[in-house]
Order: sequence, then C-alpha cells, then structure tokens
Amino acid sequence: MYCKLAFRNVKKSLRDYLLYFLTLSFAVCIFYVFNSIEAQSVMIKISTSEKEILKTLTQLMGIVSVFVSVILGFLIVSANHFLIRRRKKELGIYLLLGMKKNKVSRILVIETLLIGVISLGAGLFAGIFASQWLSIFTAKIFQADMTGYRFVFSSGAFLKTLIYFSVIFLVVIAASTFAVSRNKLIDLFSAQSKNEKPAVKHPAITIVLFVLSVICLGVAYQQVLQNGIMRFDWVLLREVILGAIGTFLFFASLSGFFLKLLQRIQGYYFKDLNFFILRQINSRINSAHVSISFVCLMLFCTIGILSTGLGMNAAMEGNLNTSMAFDVELYTLPDRAMSISDDLAAKGINLSEYSDKPYEYTDYTNPSILRSVIFTDDLNSKLGADNFINNIEAPLPFIRLSDYNALLDMRGKPVLSLKDGEVAISYSLGSDNVRSAIEETWNQTGKVSLPDKVYTVYPKVLSAAVVSMGEDGNILLVVPDAMLVDGTGAVTAGFAPSESVLQFNCSGDSTVKQDDLVSRLEVFYNDAGGADLYSIITRNAQEASYAGTKAIIAYVGIYIGLVFLMTSAAVLSLQQLSEIADNRQRYLVLKKIGADDRLIDRAIFRQTAIYFMLPLFLAIIHSIVGLTVANEAIRGLGGVNASQNILITAGLILVIYGGYFLATFIGSRKMIVREERNE
Amino acid sequence: MSNMLTVTQVEKYYGNKGNLTKALDGVSFSIQEGEFVGIMGASGSGKTTLLNCISTIDKVTSGQIIIGGKDITELNSRQLSEFRRTKLGFIFQDFNLLDTLTAQENIILPLTISTVNHREAIARTAEVAETLGITDVLAKYPYQMSGGQRQRVAAARAIVSKPSMVLADEPTGALDSKSSRMLLESMEKLNVDLTATILLVTHDAFAASYCKRILFIKDGQLFNELIRGQQTRRDFYSKIIEVISLLGGDVSHVL
Repeated sequence: MYCKLAFRNVKKSLRDYLLYFLTLSFAVCIFYVFNSIEAQSVMIKISTSEKEILKTLTQLMGIVSVFVSVILGFLIVSANHFLIRRRKKELGIYLLLGMKKNKVSRILVIETLLIGVISLGAGLFAGIFASQWLSIFTAKIFQADMTGYRFVFSSGAFLKTLIYFSVIFLVVIAASTFAVSRNKLIDLFSAQSKNEKPAVKHPAITIVLFVLSVICLGVAYQQVLQNGIMRFDWVLLREVILGAIGTFLFFASLSGFFLKLLQRIQGYYFKDLNFFILRQINSRINSAHVSISFVCLMLFCTIGILSTGLGMNAAMEGNLNTSMAFDVELYTLPDRAMSISDDLAAKGINLSEYSDKPYEYTDYTNPSILRSVIFTDDLNSKLGADNFINNIEAPLPFIRLSDYNALLDMRGKPVLSLKDGEVAISYSLGSDNVRSAIEETWNQTGKVSLPDKVYTVYPKVLSAAVVSMGEDGNILLVVPDAMLVDGTGAVTAGFAPSESVLQFNCSGDSTVKQDDLVSRLEVFYNDAGGADLYSIITRNAQEASYAGTKAIIAYVGIYIGLVFLMTSAAVLSLQQLSEIADNRQRYLVLKKIGADDRLIDRAIFRQTAIYFMLPLFLAIIHSIVGLTVANEAIRGLGGVNASQNILITAGLILVIYGGYFLATFIGSRKMIVREERNE
Repeated sequence: MSNMLTVTQVEKYYGNKGNLTKALDGVSFSIQEGEFVGIMGASGSGKTTLLNCISTIDKVTSGQIIIGGKDITELNSRQLSEFRRTKLGFIFQDFNLLDTLTAQENIILPLTISTVNHREAIARTAEVAETLGITDVLAKYPYQMSGGQRQRVAAARAIVSKPSMVLADEPTGALDSKSSRMLLESMEKLNVDLTATILLVTHDAFAASYCKRILFIKDGQLFNELIRGQQTRRDFYSKIIEVISLLGGDVSHVL
C-alpha cells in the first residue's frame, strides 16, 4: 500500500514539479559528461604527451566534481525541503489517520528513491548522448582529427555518477525523514495558514544602507579598474570583499529603498496592481536577500568563468602558430667537444632518419653587454608589466646574421639584409603593442654602441619565430657575422658561445617521429643518471601543453559555469514557486474582487521577471567591470577579442536562465489557475 | 424603485445522470435597489451555491440572473471579471485582506484594478474609511489590527468602488460578538446612508436580524420569506428563531 501511495504521489509530483526533475536530470547529465572526457579520446588522434595531459585533466575533473557534487547536493536537499514543506498538510493527514511516523517516512523514502532512479536514468541517458558531442569539442581544442566515429560509453564516469548521486539521495532521504520526525502534527496542519509578518524596516535605515552599498560598490569598481587583476594580493582581496559586502547591502536595502521612492510617485504606485507587485517583491526580497546576493555573485562567477572558458580556444590558437618555429629544438651549453649532431650520431641516433636538413647554430654573449642596453630605463618603464623579459641585468644574447637568415630560409621566409653598421632586435614574445613600443623608442634613439663601434638599429623589431625557444631565444640581437667570429672561425675577444641549438622539421609522420626521438633520448638521459644532456622541445609537447592548458581552463570553466548557472536559476525558481504556493490565496482574492486573468498573469510575470532580473542585473554590472579588467590582463598575453565569447556566454545564460524563468512563470500560473478550480 | 437583482427559475445541478444533486432547484426571487436582504439556511441548503452563482464565480445550469438590467448568465469570462469589478462588492468570512498591504492599499485595490485615477481613488478611500470609522488604521497592516477592524476594512474594500450590490458571505463568522455588532451596524449604516444594496448570507439569526427582509432556503428551494417592516429588531429576531426551528424540524410537519 505504501508503494502504491508513493507511486501515485510521484506521478502527481512529476506533473507539478517538472522543474525539479529537469534540474536533477540536467545535473546528472553534466556530471557524467565532464567525467567521461578521458574515454572520449579514443575517437581522436593525439600524441603521447596529449594523452598524458588528458589524464591530468581527468584527475582535475575528479577534484572539481567533488566540489560540484557538494553544490548540487545542497541544491537537491533544499529543493526537497521545499517539496516537503508544500506537502505538510498531506503528511499531517497521514499522521492524523493513525499512520506511524516511520511509515510516513517510508513513503517519503520510496518516493525519493523513485525520483532518484527516474532522474538518474534520464540524466545518464542524456549524458551519454551529450558526451558524444563533447568529443568534437575536445578534438577542436587539441586541433586533432577525429579517427572516425565510435559510440563512446565511459563506465568509469557512469559508476562515479551513480555513486555520487546515490550519496546525495541518501542525504536527501535522511533530511526528509528528519523533517517528518521533528514536526508536530499541529505544525503540519497550520503550515498552510501561517501569516507572515512583513519585516518593516525604518525608511531612514534603508536609505543609509542603500547609499552605503552604492559607495562600497563604487569604491570596489574604481579600485579594481585602477589596480587591475594581474597581481593577486591583499589589495585584490580587499576589493573582492568590498564588492561582496556592497552586493549584500544592495539587496538588503534595494526593495525597501525603491518601495519608498515609488510610493512618492502615487500616479505610478496606485496604478493597476503595481503596489501589490511591489509589496510582494519587497516582502520576498526582504526575507531572501541573502540567497539573492549569493545568486548574484554566482551569476557573476558564471559569466566570468564561462566567457574565460570559452575564450581559451581563441587565446591560445594564436600562440600555437607563432611560438614554435620547428618541430624539434635541441639546445645545450656549448662546452661540448662535438657538435650536437655528431654527438647524437655517436650515440647511435642518426638525424637523417628524422629530418632532411637539421640546422645547428650558436648564440654568443659578452659579459659586459647586458639586456639593459636594449631595455633602457625609459623603455622599461614604458612597458611596465607587459615586458616578459624580467631579467634585464643578464647578458644580451647575439646571433650571427648568416645563422638567422639560414633559419628564415628554412621556414620559407624572405631573408633579412642589414646595411653596413646595422643591427636588428629580435623579440618574439608578447603582443604587437610591446614590439611597437620598442620600435618607437629605438627609432628615436637610433644608435646603440657596441664594443667595436656604434651601430644603427634596424627600424623593425623582428618577430618571426625562427630561433629556439630556449634560454636565449626571447630577446636576441642579430649582428653581422664579423662582430662575433673572425675570418678563421675563432670567436671575437670579449664574446663567448652561450648556447648551441639544433633545430629541424621532421620528415614523414612528424607526430610519430617526435615521440620516437623523445623516447630514444630518454634512454640516454636515464643512463646518465638524470644528468641533463640536452634540453628538447618538440612541437608535440608544446601543442599538448597549450591544448592541455586550454582544455583544462575550458572544461573546468564550462563545467563550473554551467553548474553555477543551473544552481542559481534553480534556487530562484524554487523560491519563487514556493512563494506563489504560499501566497496563492492572495491571487484568488484579487480574482474575486475583479482582477481578470490578464491582469493576474501580468502581475505574476512581472514579479517573476523582476525576481530573476535583479540578481542578473547586478551580476552583469559586476561582469562589465570584471571583464574590462580581465581583458586588459589578457591583452598583455597576446590580445583576444572577447566579444564573441561574451556573446556565447550571453546565449547560454539566455537559454538556461531564461528557460528556468519561463518554466517558473508557467508553473506559477498553473498553480494559481488549478488551485482556483479546486476551491 | 427598480429591481436590482432578479433571479428566475435558477437551477444548479452537480454530478451526472446516475447521481444527480440539485443544489438549486428552481429558485426565483428579486431584490430592489437599496434593500438589505438576508439569505438563511442550514449547511448544505444551497445558500452558498446561490451566492456563488449571483457573484458570477459559479455558473447556473439553467435559469436567469439579472443584475442591474444585465443577464450575467450570458457574459463571457472577460466580461464577468469586469462585471465583478464594477458592479459587485464582496465581504468574505475570513476577511481575505492581503497581509502585505496596508489598510489603505487593501481598500484602494478594486479602484486601481478598474484604473480609476489615483487622486480620486485616494479621496474615495478616505471617504469610505471615514464612514466606517477606520481612518486611524489606514496606515496599518492587517496583522496590526483587531478582527473587527479587519472586517470593516474588508467592508470598505467591498463598497469603495460603489458597486450596485454588496455580497457578504458569513461576514460575522470569524468575529466575536462585540465586533459582529459593530460590523453589522456599519453595514446597516451603509444601507441607510449610502443606499447600498446588500445581500447577506448567514446562518446566524443575530446577524440576520439586521436585514430588512430574509429569504430562507432549504434543499435548494425557497422555503419562506420574512419581512421586518415596522417591527423592532428584537421582535424580528424572535420571528427568525421561529422559522429556524421550523427549518430544522421535519418537513412533513411544516407542510
């Protein structure tokens, strides 16, 4: 009999609380999808290094999932609390009819289990299909080809989802059993007719609080705009705390403040149901301003995290193409008897297996010529935090023009010709802004004095990625060969070789050959007991590390962003529905005294809309400030057009948040229309 | 004086062919403008169904209800809302005040719904509050008022839009005797001073004794009618008690 009761209740609830089921299923779906990333990799062609990165990503997702499950747990428990509260009278009737409390609990347990099984089933089903789509996204991030479609099912993610959500449902069962055992019969019955005393705040206090909140927010905005977010220190923390306090004060005082303000405009206040709506919202926000503030901050995080997560794709793509000149770069200190290629050949590695034309060259330094020759105090202060060459007291590396041109030639670029008595600055990191700042300074100064004579500086800063990314590669001075080496091949006095570099593109299947070379070099590395023979940079590793960073930020961002967005919308929606349920009598009174359906619909719509818009509105203002600052920071890294990501984020928010809003509005309407019929 | 309400052969059936309940079974009567009429009957006699039909909340199965010259059985739901709004005022047993609104805001509600200019609305609210002696509670919330004050606020809300007719459903049901007396005196005053037409549904003989005429309903049919005429309220009260004892007794005994 208990089963039958429970089944019927759930059937009824399915219709009433579609939103709750959708939220649960959506949560399960997201959880599965983001935990199944590793399994998806069978579909795409990736290198060993990228597989390693995916493994790290999966581990990271595991940690994030714990955090996410705690958030979802809170959401589900509070949603269940709302459902139980709505049914207090029903539970009271069971008790009144002589049913024992543990039997009533048993009904609830069966119900929760049923709800759990249905939503888990639906969510996993949706998740398994959604994860197929995510594979395409993964392939795009790693810029890899799909090896062909295969239906992917991750049993690990499946089990994990089952376990995590089972625990959540057990907590829900415990919570509802507790709720039943704690309640007295009289409370269960009088729950419906509780008369809420509106919290009346003194108008003067409201105004003071509102002004205070605006000041807090203003100062926080102004400071963060001024200081930026590049440095994470207590100043930033202070700004964040100030912003949070401002947000809380804002919602604590907002409704009272506007109520007082609008009451002065009687023509507006006493029009249609305006004052009724305002009073409803006022009492709503007064009792829920803490959760609304949290929703607002969560939405702010969502906007920030989602647009960053989505933005990673574009931000890293640029770097991937410019920073790696060749497939493989080997570099080492120049104190070897043999050249790198000879040394490798002695070890049994024949470079011709890997490449048609490897190229080897040497950088030189002169202990008396420091990087500050280029980065004068004037230029350095102009660049500020944008300059990635921090150590300007280190010796400035030099490269021979012939080496530089040979590398340019290998990459198929036009060679550089320097006039007599001319040197060129090569700076391959950072944004165009930095380069143009250097050019500007040096076009004014024009001359640099080096040991043998004074040189003119080539008007352009060289940015083509041809030199190694090793120690010296970021800033180099390209000089005539004669300055570094004399006719016999001996190094000029004062200069010394600082780094030997071997660069080449692999012939054939580059990805496989790179992996092969790395594994062969690893053998020697291990034999030498870990002594650093060569530093090796491969395009594989480089791409894996970029794509990995990209994937990690993108996936963690989208995962947390979606969960935050869903949670905040669900919290608002449940609160609004429970408010309508508690206050349906008010709407029925309105109907009886002649408000037609259109007017009531409009009242519910406006109330729901304002309730959903308020936290979003402040979150958007926060985000405008936040994203302005963030863009400033990203621009230093290489310049991104963030507008596209913000548009996608806005679209996602519109769909999910808007969907919850619509469902809430329709649910509220239904509740009032249906209750009227039952009356 | 013209007829404010004419009810002709109204029937209201519930249920289906096999199990038919005749809640109203051919009820006919009329009420003139400015009358204060009571409808009495035991639980289940059909008086609430009758009130619901008159107040357009429920629809009749057959028959006609004409209020102020308009046949309300032929209006659509939009027109019904408007009709309720402009022609009827309601007083409910449990006050049905909105607890988030002040007394003033509760009273002004019907006016703003009918989009009356706010200056006129505020003036009329003050006027009605003055008549019912609740001016000093206008700024208070329902939870700050006594039961009697709440019900007088509800009465003020019912008449503020100057309806053709005020429908009161057991208005004294939730009040103590002192508050009941004050409310009924207020309603009497509304009837006399403002010539409001009032239809009062009750099963309380004391409340009914304030009416000028009383209709008794039993099993969905009109059973008796009492007219106060020149009698004192006390005499009228005894008459009502007599009829009630008849109503409660065996039908065959009465007929």
